[in-house]
This record gives sequence, C-alpha cells and structure tokens, in this order.
Amino acid sequence: MRLPRLRSTSKPDGAPGSRFLASVRGLGPGSVSSVLKVALDVAYVLLALITGVLLLLLIAAVFIPLDNLNVTVSGDSGGRQLPLTRMLLLFGLGAVTAYFGGFMLILRSLRRIFRTLTVGDPFHPHNVRRLRQIGLTLAVVTGGVWLAQGFVAARLAPGVMEPQGIGELLTPVFSVLIVFVLAEVFREGARLRRESELTI
Amino acid sequence: MAIRVQLDRVLVERRMSLTELADRVGVTVANLSILKTGKARAVRFSTLDALCRELECQPGDLLAHEPGPPEAFADDAE
Repeated sequence: MRLPRLRSTSKPDGAPGSRFLASVRGLGPGSVSSVLKVALDVAYVLLALITGVLLLLLIAAVFIPLDNLNVTVSGDSGGRQLPLTRMLLLFGLGAVTAYFGGFMLILRSLRRIFRTLTVGDPFHPHNVRRLRQIGLTLAVVTGGVWLAQGFVAARLAPGVMEPQGIGELLTPVFSVLIVFVLAEVFREGARLRRESELTI
Repeated sequence: MAIRVQLDRVLVERRMSLTELADRVGVTVANLSILKTGKARAVRFSTLDALCRELECQPGDLLAHEPGPPEAFADDAE
C-alpha cells in the first residue's frame, strides 16, 4: 500500500531563521535525515571495526604473558606504578569492548530509524521497538560504565580513580527517560498512521 | 466490528465490479477491498458521498449495524 507523503504544513513566517528552517527538508530523499544517515553509516562501520579489533585483543589478552608488566598511572598527586594484572587487562578490554559494542547496537538501531526517515515514513511501527532498544542499550551502557568505574576504583586499582557519585548518573538517566518518552510518542504516531491507513 | 459494510451486495445488485467502482469513485481497488472486507476503521464522508452517488444508493444501503459486544480497540501499532 502506498503511504501518504508527509508534508510540512507550517508556513514560513517573517523571521529569517524560521524561513530558513522551513526551506530545509527534514524527511525524504536528499533531506537532512539522508545526510545524517550517511554519517551514521560511516560511524557504524568505524565502530564495528574498532569493536572487532578490541574483541581480537580481548581474545589475545588471554594468552599474553603478563609477568613484570607495570603501567604508570598519572594523577593530580603525580605518577604511580601499578602492576598490570591479567584480571585488570581482561576487565579493561572487556569493558571497553562492551562499551563500543553497546554504542554499535545503538547506531544500528539509529541507522534503521533514519532509513525510514529518508523514505518519508517516520512513524513506521518498527521504530517504536528500535527506540526502546536504544533506550535500553543506553541505560545498560551508561549504567555499566558507572559500575565498572566504581569497581576499578574500589577493587582493581584503588586510589587511582575516584568512584563516581550518584550525581554522575543524572544526565544518563534523563537521556534514557527522554528516549523512552520519544518511543511512546512514536508509538502514538504509529497508531495514528495505522488509523489513517485504514480510513477510506 | 459491529458495523458491516454491504458493498458486495450493492455491487451485485448494480452489476458493477470493484475495479469499475474504484475508477468511478477515485479510490484505489486496494482501499475499496479493505472497505469491502470490513477491515476499515473509518469511512470519510467524502468517500461515502462518492460511493452513494456512483451506486445510486443511501448510506444505509451500504452499512448495517450488527448488535454485539463492543470490540476492544486493538492497538496494532507494533
């Protein structure tokens, strides 16, 4: 079934800024969203490469002999030697791989959402699920980073890193909540789209 | 749905095909098919007007109400 093309109904008013914004197409082929989609594609490929390399390093780290290896950690109070244990290396590499992998998942969903934007169909029913996935992944990634930093500060390298407070979670929590609210907005949009499709 | 579309019956009475009606009314065959099979959620007055004009009938000839339990609103957005 052919979908109705979305058209902006807002008329440009007197302000030059809003006139400019009205002339910029946000949806459809050749619009801002298609440019952003290309940028997301590039970022996704780069992230996939980085995650792949990190994964290989993680596997290799299991077999690397780590005797007499120290890392120098510099802080406000000056440099300090820290033994690089296998546990620390595996944890660090695993955490970074999971971090990049999480963002790769977010980018994958974003790319799919932008694909629907470039064809002028923003309220595709699958976009609701994709936005929820983004929110969930963002929550897991940011929560994981917070926990990992706390773990490093408390156990793996005590004194090197300050444990993060609850206040640091404020911005991620707001971001995740906004994504979930946006998912609900898209759910409503998808419902209206379905209603519109079945109105003859 | 409690509202039944009797387009089939009226088309048989008028000896008119769905394609011909779609051409006359200016609605796609796919949309008329949705209407005919009872999948439509709503009918625009303009569509109803065009249907009645081309089929030379009243809205009551096209629609019938079948009493029954109210259908729960299916949220099929996902």
